[in-house]
Amino acid sequence: MPLSAVLAVGADRPGIVAAVTGALAAAGANLDDTSMTILHGHFAIAMVVAAPGGLDVAAVLAPVAERLALTVDVRPIAAGTPAAPPGSRWSLAVYGADRPGLVASVTAVVADAGANVIDLTTRVVGGPDRPVYAMQLELAVPSEVDAGALGDRLRAAAAGLGVDCTLTAVDPDVL
Amino acid sequence: MSVLPVLRLPDPVLKRAGIPVGEITADVMQLCADLVETMRASPACVGLAAPQVGVSLRIFCVDVTGHGKARSCHGPVVLVDPEVVAAGTAVSGREGCMSVPDLTGDVARATELVIRGRTPEGVDRVLQVDAFEARAFQHELDHLDGLLFLDRVTSGRLFPRRVYR
Repeated sequence: MPLSAVLAVGADRPGIVAAVTGALAAAGANLDDTSMTILHGHFAIAMVVAAPGGLDVAAVLAPVAERLALTVDVRPIAAGTPAAPPGSRWSLAVYGADRPGLVASVTAVVADAGANVIDLTTRVVGGPDRPVYAMQLELAVPSEVDAGALGDRLRAAAAGLGVDCTLTAVDPDVL
Repeated sequence: MSVLPVLRLPDPVLKRAGIPVGEITADVMQLCADLVETMRASPACVGLAAPQVGVSLRIFCVDVTGHGKARSCHGPVVLVDPEVVAAGTAVSGREGCMSVPDLTGDVARATELVIRGRTPEGVDRVLQVDAFEARAFQHELDHLDGLLFLDRVTSGRLFPRRVYR
């Protein structure tokens, strides 16, 4: 079945996931990879949907979107698109006093090195008077990229931003 | 001895608790030998439990020899009807499983463990293990209870396994 990338976001309330995925299931579509989370009172759904050829996924979701006041975007995924980029996996933690541009500065270093962000979560914690910004990233580092040098550049960038940064090789134990 | 096929999700045997072995028969000894041979047939495999080869019995083997993260190392160990005697503080680490292809997740495991069981020859054995060997034992023990690492992921996140290209 052809794949589509589906985004849906709206003010949080009980039943969003049930309604969105229920409409898709009823239409004969099947969920592939998904990521769904609450972001400061808004619920964000990002998912890949396998739908029977010819099924208009946007039309299937339109009634749910209207009822729950969700913004929905649907776009096709080209056949043969790899599920994830190649490379070794690294975990990157960055945290410190909040300031504009932290994510942009850190990910610019990652992008310039030719590495890929494959997962990123950020949270603002602490009180409004002293907000702390915490980022957790998972990176795919292609074999031709020097991870040690990437770590050096990230630490230098973090020092310039006044935040802490740790890059750790993710070495899963397959048991 | 023979190399047995390793079952993968969604095979229901993986989610079934193993039955205590009790008396060690010739068939049980054969299964123990086959588990070790099957483990050795996959270069990255450091442990295998009987349910992973389709047998709902409480038997597993572990061998962390030469593994970079191992501290304690008891070489190849086969335990029948194993049980945890004592477990230390749990620490999170990324795990995958031969029976759950393409996924990894963070699982908290005790870094120190005392485990008791019988060898295939019926000899009682008590092992004190730590670090990677402790993680391996707990992962295999879970298989005997019908639990996969997916049942224990702490962060609520699953990651695609590394793609080689």
